[in-house]
Amino acid sequence: MSARLEPGDALECARELAAASADRRSVRIAGAGTKAYLGDVRPTNLELVTTRMSGVVDHVPADLTITVGGGTSFALVAAALARAGQFLPLDPPHADGATIGGVIAANSNGFWRSRYGAIRDLLIGTRLALADGTTARAGGRVVKNVAGYDLDKLVVGSLGTLGVIVEATFKVLPIPDASSGLVTTFSRAQDAFGAADALVRGPSRQEAIVVERRSGGPWRLLVGARGNAATVARAREDAAQAVADRAGRAEPADDVARQLMPLRELPATALEGALVRAALPLAAQRAFAETAADLDAFATCVADAASGIVRVHLRGDDMAVAAGVDALLMAARAIGGSARVERRADALRERIGAWDPAEPRGHFLMRRLKDAFDPAGVLEPGRSAIG
Amino acid sequence: MSGLAKVLGGAKVLGTRDDLLTYEYDGSADTASPDAVVLPETTADVAATARFCHEHGVPIVPRGAGTGLSGGAIPVEGGVVMSFARMTRILEIDVPNLRAVVQPGVVNLHLSTAVAPDGLYFVPDPSSQKACTLGGNVAENSGGPHTLAYGVTTNHVTGLEIVLSDGTIARIGGKAVEDEGYDLVGTFVGSEGTLGIVTEVTVKLTPLPEDRRTILAAFATMDQASETVSAIIAAGVVPAAIEMMDNLATQAVEASVHAGYPLDAGGILLVEVEGVRDGLDDARARIEEICRAHGATTIRLAATALEREKLWSGRKGAFAAMGRIAPDYYVQDGVIPRTRLPEILRKVNAAAASRGLRIANVFHAGDGNLHPLIAFDLRKEPDALRRAQDAGLEILTACVEAGGSITGEHGVGMEKNCYMPLQFRPDDLAAMRRVKEAFDPAGLANPGKVFPTPGRCREFAYRAAR
Repeated sequence: MSARLEPGDALECARELAAASADRRSVRIAGAGTKAYLGDVRPTNLELVTTRMSGVVDHVPADLTITVGGGTSFALVAAALARAGQFLPLDPPHADGATIGGVIAANSNGFWRSRYGAIRDLLIGTRLALADGTTARAGGRVVKNVAGYDLDKLVVGSLGTLGVIVEATFKVLPIPDASSGLVTTFSRAQDAFGAADALVRGPSRQEAIVVERRSGGPWRLLVGARGNAATVARAREDAAQAVADRAGRAEPADDVARQLMPLRELPATALEGALVRAALPLAAQRAFAETAADLDAFATCVADAASGIVRVHLRGDDMAVAAGVDALLMAARAIGGSARVERRADALRERIGAWDPAEPRGHFLMRRLKDAFDPAGVLEPGRSAIG
Repeated sequence: MSGLAKVLGGAKVLGTRDDLLTYEYDGSADTASPDAVVLPETTADVAATARFCHEHGVPIVPRGAGTGLSGGAIPVEGGVVMSFARMTRILEIDVPNLRAVVQPGVVNLHLSTAVAPDGLYFVPDPSSQKACTLGGNVAENSGGPHTLAYGVTTNHVTGLEIVLSDGTIARIGGKAVEDEGYDLVGTFVGSEGTLGIVTEVTVKLTPLPEDRRTILAAFATMDQASETVSAIIAAGVVPAAIEMMDNLATQAVEASVHAGYPLDAGGILLVEVEGVRDGLDDARARIEEICRAHGATTIRLAATALEREKLWSGRKGAFAAMGRIAPDYYVQDGVIPRTRLPEILRKVNAAAASRGLRIANVFHAGDGNLHPLIAFDLRKEPDALRRAQDAGLEILTACVEAGGSITGEHGVGMEKNCYMPLQFRPDDLAAMRRVKEAFDPAGLANPGKVFPTPGRCREFAYRAAR
């Protein structure tokens, strides 16, 4: 059982990290703990919880920026913004429970990525507590800023291995007034991905373009748009056309957001088997999805087709799941992307590792960065692909 | 010099006094002479040069078109300037994946021109886009007027091939939107050549908008124009661009392009909305209504593509047009929260006026990215540059105090490295130094940039303290 630390501010947090470094005590960093399943974590001496470093630090609605503590719940940020008619245009999994710091550290994007940008595009400033006991600010509170290195980018997806995110500033947007959506099914992957691709290239800016397939089912395409009434009507028209061009029948779905929710929450619900998450070149998604659908252990495939992020849930016989994981990791690499095992059942943790056995591109630089920020190697051992 | 020629062949190395003279300046006010100039033709040439320099402890300074405004390409500590004038090929236009792979010497606008037949473009459009290179854009994380809605260079780069200062070649990222592990691409873009040299860039291509509306609105005062910007943003209309010019800038621009900019206006806004045709006129009407409510004296819609082109060529040629007002200028690049525009613009003008300097403002108002441009004639006023730099420091101090930044798109370079402590505490800079040391432990990648240097910055500390 690891000892629990709950620092109340950035300086206290940095002091705790420095003390842990000095004593070589390993530290797990947790917000709400919604994504504790990520990586190949090992038991740690300490667990540092960020939730006391919480709250809206600054929100200037007219500047369309908000600054919040790293331990602030995503839902609280959304509520604070909604009161001003604004929203943080991110739809991460676990949005109900997750903290802002956790969303950033896990690079936890949803289906809106292509429309509004990923966390890396929306995050404009951070304050980090570092293992040497210092705190460091990067970026700022303005939407454009090239002063110094972009440590904000470095920390997105770093999974707590470089330091603790104690504060973050984001660009936000006004809540659009209109929305629309449609859903359809195709018997062939090439039609579902073809329609998605036509929309990615088309003039309308859809909010979400998602392709889903469950074992034994058809290929479903779900498309949603938000904006003003005219652009949204046009977006639906364009989507309907892309479907009709492939002899599909589109059903209007004003509740598409509700239908997308369980697909977005796949990482939260995939408790059995293994969930593989791949980042692929856009045109490689179809082949990857078809490969996945042919696997013995195939259960579900969900593709953010506008961004090339594809998740595959494998279930059933342990051997079949493990073989499927190997096949997908290799396939992702072969087509110029990357993949990892985002989640797997506890019983499979020994058999199935979290990372592609091939090192990520630029691994030696990642290793040097890790050593520079955490020379004692105490932060989140095993959590990330850096090792 | 002769050692380099042996490694690369004489045709790729320049070293006579006349040759070197051409490489001692860029778009900024500073100059310094390199010891040699290398013109690599391949990544292998770059790596061989880096290995040679590493062995001999010689700095390397990469150079694109030399349009940079912060001295990024100036070899302030001597060494080798590496020009990418011979690595100018578009290697791949990958339409299915919406990516292009280019060599660093490709000119920004050439890429958009090359992919236009496929209905695509590269979004970042710095004013120098007819000359500046994509390698330079990556180094500086360049912006441009149309980055308000779609982001700057870093939002449009997914992969790089880089050469470190010891000659190691590394590929980071790729064609997917992200790669496993740390975001090395995001960390590298905007590092101003201080982490290594870019030899290949993979960029996102974006479908061209179906249509646009370009609106010119003139106001009696800059305050009115500034308040209009805040009101447009607050109304939830996110234009593709909102640019502002004051009267002096307008005079210079109009004299140079004859686009019909009203010469009697105190402040002018150039606002562009784009996207699907549907709803564009609603957005236009909304913007015009906001402009009228804030006292616009003239509102004009660009009726033809040619008219739009003229308005934009005026805006993008604004720095060059300043030559009509005075032969020399010094431009700053501070950023502020956009709601502080009226207040900070008054401080900007006071900073110049109190030093007897003429100032023109032409900038990206939607981003809060100021470009105060101080005009003078060094032949008549030899101390004017010094006064302009003092005014610049006062302006940047005001930007930082308002919660902003000392640079929005021009970079820190050697122009503002001494100013970094205005915005960052020693611990913040120490964290950045760790990144520097991870990529460039020998300290040979564009030294004397970004971080304050004890020698040159001592004088600055003294001036700031006064």
